Amino acid sequence: MKILIVEDEPALNKSMADYLSSQQYLCESVNNFKDALEKIELYQYDCIVLDLMLPGGNGLQLLEALKKANKTDGVIIISAKNELDDKIKGISLGADDYLTKPFHLSELSVRIAAIIRRKNLQGSNQLIFEEIGIDVQARTVSINKTPIVLTRKEYELLLYFIINKNRVLSKNTIAEHLWGDDMDMADNYDFIYAHIKNLRKKLLAAGAGDYIQSVYGMGYKFALR
Amino acid sequence: MKLFDKYNRLNITATILTFVVGSCAFYFLINYILLRQLDESLKTEQQEIVSFVNKHDALPEITPTKDQYIQFNANKGDEIKIKNEFLTLKKKHEKEEENYRELQFVVKAGDKHYTVLVDKPLEETEALLQVIIGVTIAMIAIILLVGYLINRTVIRRLWKPFYLTIDQVKNYHLADQSDLKLENSEIDEFSLLNQSINEMTERIQKDYGSLKNFTGQAAHEMQTPLAVIRTKLDTLIQNETVLEKNAQHIVDIEKAVQRLSRLHQSLLLLTKVENRQFQLNEELRLDNIIRDKCAEYSEMAESLNLNFSLQIDHVTIKFHHHLAEILINNLLNNAIRYNKAGGGIEICLTHNNLSITNTSETGQLDAKNLFKRFYRGQNSEDGTGLGLSIVKQICDLADYTIEYQYVNSRHDFTIHFNRG
Repeated sequence: MKILIVEDEPALNKSMADYLSSQQYLCESVNNFKDALEKIELYQYDCIVLDLMLPGGNGLQLLEALKKANKTDGVIIISAKNELDDKIKGISLGADDYLTKPFHLSELSVRIAAIIRRKNLQGSNQLIFEEIGIDVQARTVSINKTPIVLTRKEYELLLYFIINKNRVLSKNTIAEHLWGDDMDMADNYDFIYAHIKNLRKKLLAAGAGDYIQSVYGMGYKFALR
Repeated sequence: MKLFDKYNRLNITATILTFVVGSCAFYFLINYILLRQLDESLKTEQQEIVSFVNKHDALPEITPTKDQYIQFNANKGDEIKIKNEFLTLKKKHEKEEENYRELQFVVKAGDKHYTVLVDKPLEETEALLQVIIGVTIAMIAIILLVGYLINRTVIRRLWKPFYLTIDQVKNYHLADQSDLKLENSEIDEFSLLNQSINEMTERIQKDYGSLKNFTGQAAHEMQTPLAVIRTKLDTLIQNETVLEKNAQHIVDIEKAVQRLSRLHQSLLLLTKVENRQFQLNEELRLDNIIRDKCAEYSEMAESLNLNFSLQIDHVTIKFHHHLAEILINNLLNNAIRYNKAGGGIEICLTHNNLSITNTSETGQLDAKNLFKRFYRGQNSEDGTGLGLSIVKQICDLADYTIEYQYVNSRHDFTIHFNRG
């Protein structure tokens, strides 16, 4: 899977590239409009991570260029401007998703995974982690081919964990992913714990391993022991 | 007081005063002139009598006429006490006593001295004076009345461009991004006013534009470093040895970044609402929005053992979807956050108002400062302190009124939609 990261802030660009590379994506980074345009014209990417304000031009112009060239690269806009107009404009120009800075890397990777899944209709809809299988199209989960029933939140939580496997995810990150960032609950993460507890119980009962690990009270990690 | 009334009051007072003083002066002047004329004719009479006496050495015969009475009184002895003298006095020549002007002088006819009294009635003079005064008063009245009518009609019309300008200025909203186009008037002063206002709004519009750009750019400039901090933190967390030794520090940093980013978003939103950058032109089902939000919060409410009670009618409002969500979100968020375990939340929506009531342990809040920016009650250091001021600003934008009450140890926020 090839990903192009278009972001002018070097530190942020590197963070994203490192994180996504560790998830087996092939990442290329550019930090200005001209280079981005060149790359877009020459190559095909599965997903482009696009910042809107760039030295040398606006990210929206890149979207227009993509559209003109009839390219079907997935695009996720990451912008500091949480302006509804920009969001609507971006989506109407063919962007697949819009993420406002500051975001969590785990959130970015889930969104990218979703975009790639949507674009790769010919590819497999199955996400597999050991004995756990997720059919992302039908939104069903099975353990050793036996389906189990999860609530919507539990399903989303499991998907989030598996896409960001082997990563420590803070409670805050998880809460923001599941409930959006409108919800400002400060310290109260009890309700997250309840969901995690239930999910773990269901997975164990169906014969899966115990992959959800609590990490120093600050978050969770989904990994083989 | 209106300028017109103030001016009118001054004008009328000054006019009346001038006329009163003028009339008095006029009265005395006319009076003086008429008396002088009368005195002249009395003098002529005197000269005639004197020349007659000198010529004939005898008194002339008196032919009494209606406007002149002459009387000769023989002086006792040789007194010549009385010299030429004009007098105004009351006398009875005919039936009634009347005012006369009298000239007394002494003539010598034969050996005797006579005092001559020539009287002329003042009646005519007085009549003339009365007419003059009457005409003057009538004129004052007419001038005042005409002046008043002219002022009323003409001045109203003259001030019309001014009120037109005021109306346009009143309806002008900076957020509409349109220039204020005030027409020039025939009157220089109003043209000057309109021109100045036009120039001022253009200038303000320009400043407003650059300020808006600035906030947008500031958002970009601040969010990017925040994004760097957050992503670096995400990366740092993956390092087990770092995490093991610094878990609490990292949690604290993450919380601070979270709060900073939320604070920043809230301030931007607040500025946008205050600048009226949202158009309230969508027909919304408020009841659906409330139900959706309650569903979103249900898990959190469950974890606190909170009991929701909804009494919601089918209600449509003209609003902005995003703002309506924020409005409900902020109120609901507070109702849950400042609740107590095992407490309750009541939401009641009718055609005219929405009230959200929640149990709490905090006690009454300071209703005066509640909606101010960065106001925080006790035990609420974690909030941005902007939630309720955003709610208030959204209500202001929509001409809704919001009320806070504390009844039976429950906080109650009621929004009145103020429908026509």
